[in-house]
Order: sequence, then structure tokens, then C-alpha cells
Amino acid sequence: MFIKGFPQDKQISYAGMLWLLAAQLSVMSPLAFYLPVWLIPVLLISAAWRIRVMKGRTEQPGIVVIGALGFCGIAGLLASGIALVSLDMMASLLMLGFAYKAIEVIQRRDGIVVVLTGYLLVGVLFLYSQSILTAMYGVFAMTMLSGALIAIQQSAQQSIGSNLKLSAIMLLLCLPLMLVLFVFAPRFAPLWTLPLHSNHARTGISDQMTPGDIANLSQSEGLAFSVKFNRARPDQNQLYWRGMVLNYFDGNTWSQFQEELDPDVEKKTLQTSFSNIADRLDKRGEGIEYDIIYEASGQSWLFALAPVVSLQGEALYGRNFNIIAKHDVREPMMLKLISYPDSRRDVALADMLHQQALQLPPDGNAASRELAVRLFKTSSSPQDFIDSILNRYRQDAFYYTLRPPLLDPQHSIDDFLLNSKKGFCAHYAGSFVFLMRAAGIPARVVIGYQGGEWNNNGEFLAVHHYDAHAWAEVLLKNRGWVRIDPTSMVAPQRVEQNLQAAVQEEGSFLEAKIFSMTRNQWLNGVRKQLDSVQYRWRRYVLGYDTRQQAAFLKRLLGEVSVGHIAIVVGTLFTVIILIWGIVLGLFRKQPREAIEHRLYRRFCQILQKKGIKRLPSQTPQQFCRIATAQLPAFNQDITKFTETYSTLCYQPDRVSYQQQIDIMKRLLSKIRKQR
Amino acid sequence: MPIKALSNVWNFALNAWLSKRFPDTREITLDIQRIFVIPTRLSAALLFAVLVLGLMAINFQNSLIYGLSFWLLALIVIAIFFTYRNLAGLTIRAIQSQPCFAGEKAVFELEVRCPDNQTKTAISIGWPFQDVETVTLRHQHSVHIKLSHSTRQRGRFKAPRLTLFTVYPIGLVVAWSYAALNLESIVYPAPRLQDNADHQQNADDHAMHGAESADGSTDFAGVRDYRSGDSPRKIHWAAYAKTGDLYSKTFVDYASDERWLDWDALPIAGVEAKLSHLCAKVLEYHRLHYQYGLKLPGTLIKPQHGDAHKTTCLTALALFGEHR
Repeated sequence: MFIKGFPQDKQISYAGMLWLLAAQLSVMSPLAFYLPVWLIPVLLISAAWRIRVMKGRTEQPGIVVIGALGFCGIAGLLASGIALVSLDMMASLLMLGFAYKAIEVIQRRDGIVVVLTGYLLVGVLFLYSQSILTAMYGVFAMTMLSGALIAIQQSAQQSIGSNLKLSAIMLLLCLPLMLVLFVFAPRFAPLWTLPLHSNHARTGISDQMTPGDIANLSQSEGLAFSVKFNRARPDQNQLYWRGMVLNYFDGNTWSQFQEELDPDVEKKTLQTSFSNIADRLDKRGEGIEYDIIYEASGQSWLFALAPVVSLQGEALYGRNFNIIAKHDVREPMMLKLISYPDSRRDVALADMLHQQALQLPPDGNAASRELAVRLFKTSSSPQDFIDSILNRYRQDAFYYTLRPPLLDPQHSIDDFLLNSKKGFCAHYAGSFVFLMRAAGIPARVVIGYQGGEWNNNGEFLAVHHYDAHAWAEVLLKNRGWVRIDPTSMVAPQRVEQNLQAAVQEEGSFLEAKIFSMTRNQWLNGVRKQLDSVQYRWRRYVLGYDTRQQAAFLKRLLGEVSVGHIAIVVGTLFTVIILIWGIVLGLFRKQPREAIEHRLYRRFCQILQKKGIKRLPSQTPQQFCRIATAQLPAFNQDITKFTETYSTLCYQPDRVSYQQQIDIMKRLLSKIRKQR
Repeated sequence: MPIKALSNVWNFALNAWLSKRFPDTREITLDIQRIFVIPTRLSAALLFAVLVLGLMAINFQNSLIYGLSFWLLALIVIAIFFTYRNLAGLTIRAIQSQPCFAGEKAVFELEVRCPDNQTKTAISIGWPFQDVETVTLRHQHSVHIKLSHSTRQRGRFKAPRLTLFTVYPIGLVVAWSYAALNLESIVYPAPRLQDNADHQQNADDHAMHGAESADGSTDFAGVRDYRSGDSPRKIHWAAYAKTGDLYSKTFVDYASDERWLDWDALPIAGVEAKLSHLCAKVLEYHRLHYQYGLKLPGTLIKPQHGDAHKTTCLTALALFGEHR
């Protein structure tokens, strides 16, 4: 403690011990999703051991036993297959120590160590998940930990409810101050980088396209990214969120060329600044400014309206006017982008890229090749040729379906174009590019997302995995790469509205999901609300970094300067402290005097009104004698009042205290009313 | 050495300042002018945890960990208010003190009270290196506690300033205050018989008989109607509570065997040794129910017996030589 000469540590009571255990459990439970589950039994057994010791049923383990346990624990962690130098290992070790500490929680000091480690573990939990639910759980865990801190300070046992309430009230009152700090405290760039997770799952579009991949993705209603437009929202049918460009066709699957395949390679060799692609771009039209928040995908591919001319955030310019994240997206990530969709790209294309855009497998699909050559010969221009192909898709009995029949893998294009004529965007885009290349027109497949769902609550566009789409880009003389979407010929609703409208008749939208909130109309409303909450959470809470802070403070204060911020923060602090003072009743004047003295003073005031003034030198007895002499009518009451008062002052008796105070009050009102 | 001197000067100045700020009173209510607040070592430990969390937040650019760190910082700040509130408004009052013999512990009875509908939890009251009592006031208006303080020499013992402190609720902050209550106790001389003085003393003992003297103060004699002017001490409150009328208790004194304890007749050297011896004799006579009187230079206590008389005698011995 602080003051010299007062006893220091105290043993933790049984109730305090149980509190600590509950707090430990609440901290460790969610972490068991990410770290070895067996750490929880370790905690329970440790706590049970401690409780047995407290009840005198067994001995406190010695240093040898504890050392052996620690050794076993570390061996167990290594056997669990966690990399030695990783965040998982650090977190697991912290958890292990946290669990073992339950054995030797004896003094208040031990309890404090547990609670502080618990706070750290809540922070570790946030490294693994930053969802709203996790944050809410974190608040609960903090309440429990603070409650435990309160419980171990108590000597007398108190109900669990009152501790929890007190802890919750304290944290609640802290909230405004926390928010002020959150908004105004300066943010820093990382001091050093650490590998975060040792393994992770990838979601979303993969980097190759076999017909069927996108059909699978279209069964997922997860969120891919959300977009906030700074000005007007472009038309729905212009929302082509371009992801990656697929140039290589092996007869069945579209993919990237080997040298493009690895985004890490591309990152090393390619552009960090816009100037590298600027000379291949002829910027035209109006710019569209927007912010995108990408959900965690585990991949580097990012999706945007092409071409992106300005970007702020952790991303690079790719060589095909796409953008790539600097690191795999494992947590939601926000970018600020400006795109000029009307621009012309690669009007003069480099040879190597030109060659890539004409690649075809040496054989197979002979009928389609022949068709392309025949049609090209009868066409007056490449544009004419493209139109005639698109017309074929529109007029021939092509059918848009999420349940395409299986195609002959040797001649998939022939089979699709001439026989089945039933397919999905991947089929249309793939066959279209094949026909173009067969006729000698450079073309390529682009995959990404198309459209999105406008959320009126949050005024943002939510793009889900089922919005995944594939289309084509064709290189035309003097115009560069031109986007052509053959799917829109077959199923215009897909582009004008969404997938659900396009496959309405078929009823195959999200059919693999037994329970889908999106399909149910009422639940879909709820889902949109939740999306909107999540969007705000991502954007305003998780995305609050140096850049956002600067922008927000600028909007809030107009001008951002140290002086300004100091004044605002100072004012807010003062207000918060005033609120605390009022809520906690610190400004209420404490009654300084005991009630009997106040009553006696009132008595003197009343008698003064009746003409008898008490001099400071007079004792109550003297005053009583004078008063009774002058006001004989009050003789009894005044005497009794004075006597009761004297008794209370000089012979206090707590048992009859309240009774005597009541007598004084009664007499006082009697004297006051009587004439 | 200079450090020692400096610390002495500092302590002296601090004490002077505290004495001015906490004047002696019978009752004290702790308020903002009297309560000091300072973070404890636990706060330092929590700050360290916040530092670690802050590094995590910066390196992983994690908003939620930023939030957690700020929340913990805010917790330290609000702990100041909660801990202060736990102590503020507490009233402490001296009730009475019990005399003791030198070398024993003087016991003080105190009343600790808190304003209505407030609770005060885990408040420690006491003197450093002495007795400490931890008080929790919950649903009850006040509580009486007894604190003891060791004494060394006879005379008037004035207890030092009381320290009151609490770290409740969360231990991050300690709020403390001092209460300079008029805590005074009489410390009797340590009773020590001197063998060689005993038979001399006996020679001076006389035996006498005396009549009962009415309206005394020693033994209870009966109850009569209350007359104005009667001391409130003698009011029969139990009877008042039953009947609503006031009665006074009457007492009588009477004399019996008389013995004298005479300072001048003691063949002992040294003031304190004499006082210790007389103290022992008073206790002995009292135990044997003798009537005894005490003659000290400048003081004469007539022979009587009973508890009150014993107290009078012992007090006279305790305060012997005190300047009036």
C-alpha cells in the first residue's frame, strides 16, 4: 500500500477466488476458437486444485510440481503444431500462464496479475476477430475482469450482482472519456511488422475460372466488399467491379499466365505508383470517387471500377489496370479510390501483352474456330464482327442458368455454343473471348463482381459473393480495351438488376442454402439492417486510422491544429468530469452537522421569532431557563426539548437515538405552531 | 546527513501544515478539502499493461485494441472519483477513551457515520504501526469502533492524527485523509510495588467509621420525582421510556475503614517509582474493599471506596506534577 506502517497484502477471499475464476473463464472461452481448446480444462483443473487447497483438502503444490506442469504445458503447445515464433504461440503461452496462475492465486497481488493478464488477453482476442459480436463480448469480459478486481479489494463479501453492477457502471461512465481519447488521441504507423496468423482460409473469387466456379460462388451470400460513393451513384449496369484479368486458356480453364499468376511476384516487380501506368492511359470523362471496405478474403486481389487513377491505402497498381493489396486481406481493409471508367486503356498495346491476348490452345473446339473465321470474313469491321456474335447470343436459343449441363471437357466451347446453349456468365465470357481470339482479335476474360445491393439505411452499396461475374475485354483499334458483357445479351436482368432477378423463373438463387435470409423478403430487410450496422462498424470504428482521423477532425473542427484540438479536448474533458461529478453526487453538499445540532439551531431561530434571542455565551440550560421564564406557556416543551438535546450531546445512546430525534422534531413543530 | 536533516525539516513543515489543516475537533466530516487522492502501484501496473496493448494496437493497426487501451486509461481516471466518493462524507467522532496503565494500550471508542442512503466500503482507520480497523457501512447509519494505541509514560496521552484511507472500489487509487480528533486518554503509572516500603505504609493506616452521607454519588439508593436542576446524568431514562414522566435517580455515599496512602511517608527515592508504588497500593486496597485516602503534595483525596474513587486516585497519580 502507499502509507507506511499499514498492513499490505491480504489473502483473497473464497468469493474473490470464484470471481477471478469466472473472469478467467469468460476471457479464455472465445480464444478457444483460435487457440488450443485444452487450455480451458487446464484452467478448470488449476482452479479446482486451488479451491481444494483453500478448503484444506490438499497441499499447495511445491515449486517442483509447478515447474513440471509448466514444462508439460509448453510441450503440449509445441505438440499442438503451433509454430514456435508466431503470434499464436505468444498468445498460447500467455493463455497457459493465465490458466496455471489459478493454482497460486493466494494474495491480492496474484489476483491483480491475473486481472491485468486478462486485459491483455482481451486485446489478443481482438487480434483474431474484430466483429461487432467480438467487441461486445470483449466489453463483457472487461466487465467481468473489473468486477473481479473489485471483488478482490473487498474484505466483506458482497453479492455478485452488486459487484457486476458497480463494474458496469464504472465502465459505462468511462465510455465518454474513452470515446474522446479514441477520436482525438494521435494514431501512429506500425513500429515494426509482425506476422499475424499462421494459417487462414481464402474466400471469394479464385484466380482462375473453370465454368462452374462462379456458379458455386453465386450460392454464397457473404459480403465481399461495400462501397460508399462520394457523389452520385453510377447506374447499376455500369458497376463492373473488375478483379483479375485471365489471359491463358488451356481448353477448359481460364487462368493467368504463369508470370502473372503469383501476386507476390507482381508486387515485387510492379507498380507502386500511378505514373508507371499513366502513359498507357488516356484519361477521359468524369471521375468517380468512392471508398471501398474489403472484407477479409485471405487474398491480395482487389476489386474496383477500372481504371483506378488515384488510390489511398495499402494497395498497388497492377499491370492490367487492376489493383492489388500490399498484403493479403485478412482483416477488413479500406481504400479511397478515384476511377475514370470512360478512359481508354492501352491504345498502343505492348507486343508481349498483345500476344498473350491472342493465345489459344493448339487444338480442340474446331467447329467454334471455323465459325469465328467464317463470321469474321463476312464482317466489315471488328466492331461488326463483335455485333454479329453478340446477336447470335441474343437471338439463338441461349439460356441463362445456374444449373448448366456438364460439357465435353475436350471441346467445351463447341459443346456450349452449338449444343447445350445453357450456361452461366463464365460460359458466355469464355466462349466469347474464344471466338474473338479465333478470329484474331485480342481479347481476354475479366472476373470480378457486377452490380451490388444498394442499402438505403447506410447509403452504401453492398457487394456479395453471389454478385460474382465474368465478362470480356476486347482490344479495338484506337479505342483500347473495350468491355463487352455477352451475358447481358442473354439475361439483361442480371446486369440491370441482379442475379436473383435473372434466375427468378429457375428459382436457383441461393438454392444450396437451406436457410437464407436473402431469399426471405422480411428477413432480407433485417439482413440489410445488419449489413448497414456492420458497414458503419467497419467504416467508422475499425477503419479509424490516421487518414480517417485527419479527415474526421477536419470535418469536425474545420481547421486542424494543435491549439484547436487542445481546446476541444479540454472542453470535452471538463464536461465529462462535470457529468461524473453530478452522476456520482460529488457536488451535493454534505450535511456537516449531526441532525440534533441542526434541530437545536432551528429551535433557537423559532424562539428568536418569539422574541427570545440566545446569546453565544449561553449554554442550552441557561437559555432554557431564560426562555421558560419569558414564555411560561411553552415551559414543558422547551424544557423537554433542551433536555433531550443535552442527552443526545452528552450521553449518546445509539439504540434510542432515532426515537429521541423524533421527540425533538415533534416538540419543535409544536413550539412553532403554538401562538 | 544533510538528507536526514532535510527530511526532518520536511517532516516538520508537513506536520505544521497538516496541524493547521486538520485542527483538533471532536467530530470531523471528510470533504474535498481534507481528502487526498493518489494512484497506487496497481495503477502503474495497469499503465504498463496499457502500454503493451498500445504497442499491439499500433503494430497491428487494430482499432478495437486502441479502444481497449483508452478504456483502461479512463478506468484509472474514474477510479479517482469513485474512491474519493467512497471516503467523502464520512464522519468520525470521538466517543470516549479508556484509561490504561503506562506500557499498555489506550483504547479509544469512535463513532463512524455516513450520510443517509450512502454506503462506505472497506475504509481503514488507524495509526501507522498501531491498530487498524476496516469499516464497511452498509444499510446502517453508523458504527462504533475501538482502536488501541500503545502508551509509554504516565500522564495525559494524546493520540496522534488518525489516518483514514480506502482503495475501494477498484484498488487503482487510494484516497486518504487525517482526522485530528481530541483523542486524549489518562495513562496511569505502571503499578509496581516496592517491597521495602510496605510495612512503613501500614503504620500510617488508620481505621475509622463514618456515617452515611446522603445525596452522594457512589451507590444507587432509589428513584424520586424529577426536580428542575437535577443533572441529566441522573435521569432515569428507562422509566421515562415506559411512563413518559421524568424521574431522577438518587445516590448515597458512606464511610467505613479508612487508610491513607501518603506520598511524604514513602521511603522510596524517585518520583516515578513512588507513583508506581502508590498506584499498585490503590489497586490492592480497591481489590480488598478498603476505605482509603491519598495524600500527594498539593492534593488530598479523602478516604472513600468504590470504582469512582479508584479512578479519582489513579488520575491524580497519573497527572501528578502537571502544571495547571
